[in-house]
Amino acid sequence: MESWIEFGRGPLFRIAFSLMLLGLARIFALTVLGLVEAYGRSSDKIVNWREVRNQTIAWLFPMNRLWRKRPVYSTISFFFHLGLLLVPLFLAAHVLLWKRAAGFAWPALPQRLSNYLALVAIVAGLGLFSGRFLYPAARKLSRRQDLAWPLLLVLPFITGYVCSNLAIRPTTYDAMMLVHVYSANLIMLLIPFTKIAHCVLAPLSQIVTAMAWKFPAGAGDRVAATLGHADRPTWVKNSRMVQAAPADEVSAK
Amino acid sequence: MEPLSTEERRKAFASAKKPDIVRKQRLPVRYHVEDFDVTDRPRRFLQAFAAILKHTNYRVALDHYVRVSAKCARCSVKCQVYLATGDERDVPCHRSELLLSVYRRHFTVSGVLRARVLGDAGLTDDKIQEMAESFYNCTACRRCYFECPMGVDHGLITHLGRYILSEIGIVPRALAVSVREQLLGATGNTSAVPVPALIDTLEFLSEEIKDGIGVDVSFPVDRQGAEYLFLPAVSDFLMEAETLMGNATVFHATGDSWTIGTGYFDGINYGLFYSDQILEHVVKKIQVEAQRLGVRKILIGECGHASRSAKYFYPAFCGGKDALPVINIMEYTHQAWKEGRLKLKAGAIAERVTYHDPCNIARPGWIVEQPRELLKAICGDYVEMTPNRRDNICCGGGGGTVSIDEIQPYRTLVGGKAKADQIRATGAKYCVAPCANCKKQLRELVAEHGIDCQIVGLHDLLYKAIVFG
Repeated sequence: MESWIEFGRGPLFRIAFSLMLLGLARIFALTVLGLVEAYGRSSDKIVNWREVRNQTIAWLFPMNRLWRKRPVYSTISFFFHLGLLLVPLFLAAHVLLWKRAAGFAWPALPQRLSNYLALVAIVAGLGLFSGRFLYPAARKLSRRQDLAWPLLLVLPFITGYVCSNLAIRPTTYDAMMLVHVYSANLIMLLIPFTKIAHCVLAPLSQIVTAMAWKFPAGAGDRVAATLGHADRPTWVKNSRMVQAAPADEVSAK
Repeated sequence: MEPLSTEERRKAFASAKKPDIVRKQRLPVRYHVEDFDVTDRPRRFLQAFAAILKHTNYRVALDHYVRVSAKCARCSVKCQVYLATGDERDVPCHRSELLLSVYRRHFTVSGVLRARVLGDAGLTDDKIQEMAESFYNCTACRRCYFECPMGVDHGLITHLGRYILSEIGIVPRALAVSVREQLLGATGNTSAVPVPALIDTLEFLSEEIKDGIGVDVSFPVDRQGAEYLFLPAVSDFLMEAETLMGNATVFHATGDSWTIGTGYFDGINYGLFYSDQILEHVVKKIQVEAQRLGVRKILIGECGHASRSAKYFYPAFCGGKDALPVINIMEYTHQAWKEGRLKLKAGAIAERVTYHDPCNIARPGWIVEQPRELLKAICGDYVEMTPNRRDNICCGGGGGTVSIDEIQPYRTLVGGKAKADQIRATGAKYCVAPCANCKKQLRELVAEHGIDCQIVGLHDLLYKAIVFG
């Protein structure tokens, strides 16, 4: 089992971590390229940068606005994120692993604080999971990944906490550590392909929306032409009664 | 907010449509739709979606939204429709997911691959029907946007969803008929007001002002080289005499040159609600008239969507940074008052007054404080609704729904329920709603809910407070 653990936190970790970084870099770059294209396509270059900046910062550090609505959910969500960001990066044991593998490291959190944060993340994660069933508006909205993520995310926290704080038999320890390492690797592999991609995309949200409202001049007419009804625009009576000509150049996948 | 009673729910969602029309069009929505090709709708919907993605900037937003949307349901607390119905299908994020799921399935690589593996057949006619219903239950007020930690703009999705639907012929008849008259009709405006009727109205309004305050105020028509080309919602010429009298009297007091153009005098632009193509063609009508008269600025009357569609889309379609500046009449009046060119009598309005923020001008933070400062200057008893300003609640008739008469019970019982409670709580005698759409909706709303409050425009009250000399 130990060799599996070593594989998990050695080569597999390096692969998962690299793929996560590459995946996140890819979608970030794609979004930025999309924004540049949208900006170039629009003749309206007036962007309210102040508004974009203010809204972006306000949501990245939402301490002022989060609690205005749904205070219980907001509190749970806030502390969940806090634990999720701080513990994996600043746990003393993790920092030590970095130091050993890469030769450099950064200051670690005091062990006691890491422990509290881990416990908070676990409770909050389970709280968010329960909230999916308890809050009527969220129940119907929840997809499989929305239900799976809180559980998957707390898994390395629970196992990590058990390993570093409880006196357990070596075999149990190994089993726990195995789950800890492999669930963490799985999380890293999944991040770029799921909603957790917001960890890098969230700062772009406001500018993305601002750009989407920049309607390129002539686009409406080009859409009609592509659909084969340039001579019968939508405001001509019963124009759609006539079967639209096949639009060869456009086809949905 | 109190949930709807069973009786209210029945009334709000009752459909006046004939069952054979519903069967023929295969569209169980409450609004009327002109006949259209019903065959092969999913394929044609996807074709329209693909064409729109190809030529517009929506793709960057859709890509982003499908990646980040966390389905946290925070938006639910901001949606006046969901708060009234309690129906999970009315949660903004659920509404958006209708379209986002189509995008994910048909226009992303992962969606297409997934469908191949799992054998998902893709878009169905049922889902198109669901979208046709859902996107017109939303008033596109964008209040939920400010509550979304991921920055998903559900108003944008509603706009896009309606745009795609309109390209396959699904659009409320009321909106389609108005746009047809505006772009193809002899009168060239949404209310079909002919020029002689406009001239008669303006002369009548001048006489009314003379009779009312004893001042000779004219409504300049086709004045070449005027500073401002004035475009109110054309319905104001039919229904909002006092607002227009106030507008003209302000200009009389400031002495600035302005004009109404007989070539085009309608600020309304339903394109903002359902079609980028219509939005552009209507905005360009303003440009043609502005060039004909050689004006220097575009001045939009008291109307939220008219102001937004000109302010934010005139630069997009008519020359970018070189486009003529677009301002709203409330900005103009506020500026003139600040500069001391307009004198107002303090305390001219003794009754209690409150202010309703039209979503289209308040949400971007554009016109929020200007009307309040003017009202505080002339009102003895001004009170705020809660919430207000950028966080205002929609009147319930936004997104063009106010023009769809057959869904009036829905608008007053569901869409406007929160607003009715707000107005009642202020105890105001006057509710100032500087928007043609909001005014119509709020009047129907106070009548339905038995609230003793008169809905007026800002300039209706300013008209009573302007001091000459």
